[in-house]
Amino acid sequence: MENLEDLKLMVEQWTNQGPEYLQKIPPFQLYAAIGLLLLTTVLLLSFRLVRRTKSNTVLLSGLSGSGKTVLFYQLRDGSSHQGSVTSMEPNEGTFVFHSEHAKKGKIKPVHLVDAPGHSRLRPKLEEFLPQAAAIVFVVDALEFLPNCRAASEYLYDILTNANVVKKKIPVLLCCNKTDKLTAHTKEFIKKQMEKEMQYEKLRASRSAVSTADIANDYTIGIEGEVFSFSHCCNRVTVAEASGLNGETVQVQDFIREYIKP
Amino acid sequence: MLEQLLIFTRGGLILWTCKEIGNALKGSPIDTLIRSCLLEERSGEVSFNYGAYTLKWTFHNDLGLVFVAVYQKILQLLYVDDLLSMVKQSFSEIYDPKRMRYDDFDETFRQLRVEAEARAEEMKRTKQVVKPLNGVKKQGQVSKEETKKSNGEKKDDEGKVSSVSNGNHKMEDDVANGKENSADNNNNNNNSVGVDVSKLAKLRSKGVRGRGGLRKADSIGSNKGSSKVEPPKKATKKNRVWDDAAAAPKQEEKLDFTDEHGDNGHVDVVAAADQGESMMDKEEVFSSDSESEDDDEPISDEKPEAKKKGWFSSVFQSITGKANLERTDLEPALKALKERLMTKNVAEEIAEKLCESVEASLEGKKLASFTRISSTVQGAMEEALIRILTPRRSIDIMRDVHAAKEQRRPYVVVFVGVNGVGKSTNLAKVAYWLQQHKVSVMMAACDTFRSGAVEQLRTHARRLQIPIFEKGYEKDPAVVAKEAIQEATRNGSDVVLVDTAGRMQDNEPLMRALSKLINLNKPDLVLFVGEALVGNDAVDQLSKFNQKLSDLSTSGSTRLIDGILLTKFDTIDDKVGAALSMVYISGAPVMFVGCGQSYTDLKKLNVKAIVKTLLK
Repeated sequence: MENLEDLKLMVEQWTNQGPEYLQKIPPFQLYAAIGLLLLTTVLLLSFRLVRRTKSNTVLLSGLSGSGKTVLFYQLRDGSSHQGSVTSMEPNEGTFVFHSEHAKKGKIKPVHLVDAPGHSRLRPKLEEFLPQAAAIVFVVDALEFLPNCRAASEYLYDILTNANVVKKKIPVLLCCNKTDKLTAHTKEFIKKQMEKEMQYEKLRASRSAVSTADIANDYTIGIEGEVFSFSHCCNRVTVAEASGLNGETVQVQDFIREYIKP
Repeated sequence: MLEQLLIFTRGGLILWTCKEIGNALKGSPIDTLIRSCLLEERSGEVSFNYGAYTLKWTFHNDLGLVFVAVYQKILQLLYVDDLLSMVKQSFSEIYDPKRMRYDDFDETFRQLRVEAEARAEEMKRTKQVVKPLNGVKKQGQVSKEETKKSNGEKKDDEGKVSSVSNGNHKMEDDVANGKENSADNNNNNNNSVGVDVSKLAKLRSKGVRGRGGLRKADSIGSNKGSSKVEPPKKATKKNRVWDDAAAAPKQEEKLDFTDEHGDNGHVDVVAAADQGESMMDKEEVFSSDSESEDDDEPISDEKPEAKKKGWFSSVFQSITGKANLERTDLEPALKALKERLMTKNVAEEIAEKLCESVEASLEGKKLASFTRISSTVQGAMEEALIRILTPRRSIDIMRDVHAAKEQRRPYVVVFVGVNGVGKSTNLAKVAYWLQQHKVSVMMAACDTFRSGAVEQLRTHARRLQIPIFEKGYEKDPAVVAKEAIQEATRNGSDVVLVDTAGRMQDNEPLMRALSKLINLNKPDLVLFVGEALVGNDAVDQLSKFNQKLSDLSTSGSTRLIDGILLTKFDTIDDKVGAALSMVYISGAPVMFVGCGQSYTDLKKLNVKAIVKTLLK
């Protein structure tokens, strides 16, 4: 108890001495110090704000085997080199598109991330979602029907992810491998996906293992109506591409729409 | 002859293939290797079999490259490991992250191959005695003569390297000494499903049998464990008929105690059980606090090994981070990690395999600056564990139920497991949960052996107010299940939950009966119910169940365990290792976790929480 009393006394003494001490400092220095402090805070805040709106990350996602890695190298180098195998790690790169090399002037590079599609590596995708400015969901147009369910589940997971909903990240449904004869058209794929998403909605709650702590407690679509991609608050568009042949114009246009060169 | 040799990055881009031997490979062995071996944390194994091919691989962890060699299984090429390590060395010299084509490597490769083949010929000729050790001799492997057959997987106590990985720099010394390989421990890692036959033989020799009758005495009132295996001693006791042999009707009557008129006093309708929301639907509040590393442990581990390099230089290296991780550096950290895993009730061999896999993925990597070896190892292990526990395919039952509903057939789930793990209790919990989601459920009482099993299910059905299909005792479970499914199709139930009798994995006639049930009815989901208290036995149970199911399956599709239901989770505090052992050995995801004895005590597996608990 005595210690408390002593402490109280000391504190009182300091508070009494404080203002006296402050008055002793020449006013100029005081104002300079305060001014500097304010300036740095303002600068930091402005940097944060500015940085937030200028993310240039584009995420390439989709099931394993849909052609993301080939697309990545096609966009970067203009050729898919000698082929690819199942990715075990993400491919990242910040670059200007290969087709844009010829353009003059300073073009803003794109930070492209190719996340592995294997279900066990799903958490890797979730790491990149917060910084994404746009998402390209690659679908195999050739082997579409056997994988339709898995693809729609994956897409549903992405569309109901908290980050995607809050920031309204635009999604491009890219139908890959359209160079093959038996590949489905993008209209067909769009309709099928919408139908499958309807089933995803039917379930009141998902019994899937929570792969991340980001709660998927957003639902998309309008109650009572058949699901359509126009119901999502973020824009969902469909495009075609062929990774092997290098026809990636539609994808590039989509990306450039959101990351101005 | 070598079929193919590939070099690719971990991100999936193929950098170089051998153009001389440009045979197209049947199927997709490389993709299968990645999916069922490397991503399943089995990269510590020696080889992988796919169809007619055998694949061997090695990593260059620093540059993030994978080197894979494919050759015919029937040919026993002895120089593959040697070749892989030489290729790794020479390729890493010319590797440049910006370069995508390496045509000049063709020439180098040709030379290396010729060299390796010549060396193998040499070895063969200098060998005096050729011991026919199971007919397979892998020349390039490191193995010590001291490794006992039963402990083939364990590392040598003197700290020398054991015989699992390829491309080891010590290999040359041993090859030069012409040591004889006792490579039997690496023979039968043949399975992409996870069933390991050699393991079973080893386990049997170790004397690890199924759980004894004593432990079962406290379980849910069944002493089947002892009574099933032993034949009746007294002459007056009638033999229990537990296989398909048709029993005389007189016997059936005497032993069938089902009361046709229902239990006395319980005929009136019991109030429907409504205990609120099942825990499946509640998101677990998982507080992700920052990683707390115990500072005491790692330092004490590094001390004995640091004597080699000197304390100052190791600290210096951990700051600058230039050191390449060597096997000897990783060993103490891995050993400590393995011990920690084992204290958390992970089966010993699983922990061993995991450590080997992590070692294979870290060897040769450069230490990042300001990190200790132990934290790098811990990070790699955490990633590996998350990868294993994340399910390989979607485990969304609701989706499947709706899909089956479209096709106008019921969704059939079969609960299998050993005695006393909680099948009937958890079946009721699953039924409660499904009911809450407006799915119509029907139970099928195919446990026709244990006294009281049908009554137990009947009570649950009455409380939950769902129909139950039962035929009493001493009937063939497969036939009962079939009729139950037909009944469900008739009255439009969405899901049929089939309860089976508990059985030990060693019991041949019972396992045969089980696979008959599964083959006959082709269920949509085979759920293995395992309790979280089990230790090393989980490995034995799961692998034997899987093996019996695959052995005894009829033509067409082989049905294996599709999912795991982990029970009695509330009884273990932090010894959650059984989940890891089960998932690793079977490859099946954990779909439900039972954490109590009331209807609402069913939840999902929280992967991050479990990994955190395992590594604490």
